[in-house]
Amino acid sequence: MALRFTALILLAFVALTPFSSAQAQDPAAFIGEFSQKGISDILAADIPGDEKQKRFRAMFDQYFDIPYIGRFVLGRYGRLTSDEQKEKFGTLFEDVIVQTWSRRFSEYNGQTLKVNSTVTDGDTGAIVKSHIVGNDGTNIAVDWRLRERESGYQVVDVIVEGVSMAITYRQEYSTVITRGGGFDGLLDEMQKQVAAQ
Amino acid sequence: MKNLGNGTTSRFISLSLLLMITVGLSACATRPPADDLFAVAAFEEANDPLEPLNRVLFKTDQVLDAALVRPIVNGYRTVVPDRGRQSVNNFMNNIRAPITLVHDVLQGEMSRARTTLGRIVVNTTMGFFGFFDVGEQIGLPYHSEDFGQTMATWGASEGPYVYVPLLGPSNFRDGFGFMVDAFVVDPVGWYLGNPRNNLEWAQWTSFGMLFITTKDATMDATDELNASSLDYYSALRSAYRQIRASEIRNGAVAPMDDFDEFDDMSAVTVAPTRQSASISPEMPDTLLRSN
Repeated sequence: MALRFTALILLAFVALTPFSSAQAQDPAAFIGEFSQKGISDILAADIPGDEKQKRFRAMFDQYFDIPYIGRFVLGRYGRLTSDEQKEKFGTLFEDVIVQTWSRRFSEYNGQTLKVNSTVTDGDTGAIVKSHIVGNDGTNIAVDWRLRERESGYQVVDVIVEGVSMAITYRQEYSTVITRGGGFDGLLDEMQKQVAAQ
Repeated sequence: MKNLGNGTTSRFISLSLLLMITVGLSACATRPPADDLFAVAAFEEANDPLEPLNRVLFKTDQVLDAALVRPIVNGYRTVVPDRGRQSVNNFMNNIRAPITLVHDVLQGEMSRARTTLGRIVVNTTMGFFGFFDVGEQIGLPYHSEDFGQTMATWGASEGPYVYVPLLGPSNFRDGFGFMVDAFVVDPVGWYLGNPRNNLEWAQWTSFGMLFITTKDATMDATDELNASSLDYYSALRSAYRQIRASEIRNGAVAPMDDFDEFDDMSAVTVAPTRQSASISPEMPDTLLRSN
């Protein structure tokens, strides 16, 4: 039993080491790794859509600070919600993003991510500026906002052509809450959106 | 149409402005009561006092979009292949580049003005009247400026958000800027619009092509936003304001306090020129329970 436990720890350690050291490198390398892994393991991989979505969820959990993004999106409404509502929101929000991104996977057509530069962002943060470059010459500016966590960097926002994912969700949800049935109304709508996919 | 001395044009502008103001005032959203801090913060943050009217205009636009705009853009996409559409975009960018040049200068961005001037020269000659973007390949990348952005760098705030059917999201500042650019600034427009040149047909064609190429360039992104949002109207409003703020910053990333100040009650600020009303974090508990 003790041997198995030791083996497990060792395995976990070995499995985590390359990732941790890669993260410790620098923000640009972190994003480079994220995009390479995303392309080889998900976008360009010859696997069914369900499996792609499963792999993306795992990657999303690992590379993104989802609780932080959720707290930002909740914003001022975080104060009004119960722990139970917060937890429900967190789960639904992750599902919404995973589904939104997954819907586009089949459109992948050889695009690559070109990292251009890194700027510091606050005390422990960085913004990696990059472009998604397509074979047809299309060029989309994507900025990745990173925060340093104990395990290394994590993404807290993706800004596509100046549009922040976190701010857009935050403002949209705020409108849904004030116009509709409050926070529970938002949860209902998100529930419906997730179920409809 | 573009001649400023033309009485019909100025009458048209005054009439539209008058209509905008009258309809606008009568359809103002009711400001939430001052003691409902959450609703007030959301109201301030959205910058959309005309929301009830805008939502009606937005619905009208969606009907027009399905019935008219979409078939036109789809037809355009069927008839003109990808590469051809890219050339048309290049051409349209080039004939609008003088507007950008004027605003580069008005904003004091001399290095960007040189880039724009270089692009006009290179693309008009080597790029065969602008159909090929040679500038992009020799290190003169495209950017666009307009009077709305110039006014923002001069300190003008957005003004209320407006949704214009067929033209899409805007605000008082950018809408005014759009008209000034179209009727006053644009030198190509001045030339084509001068009755002596008999080129009004070319000016109308240019307006039409600008409309189609803009819709062609944005339709996929807005469709995606529509598919992934709970409230497409507010998602589009948020995206538009962020894109404009980013253009005004010339693509620089928004400052960090836009992102990290979320644990308190302060409203997030999207526009670089305008500080949203922030609310004291020390709120009495009774208010927090009122929702």
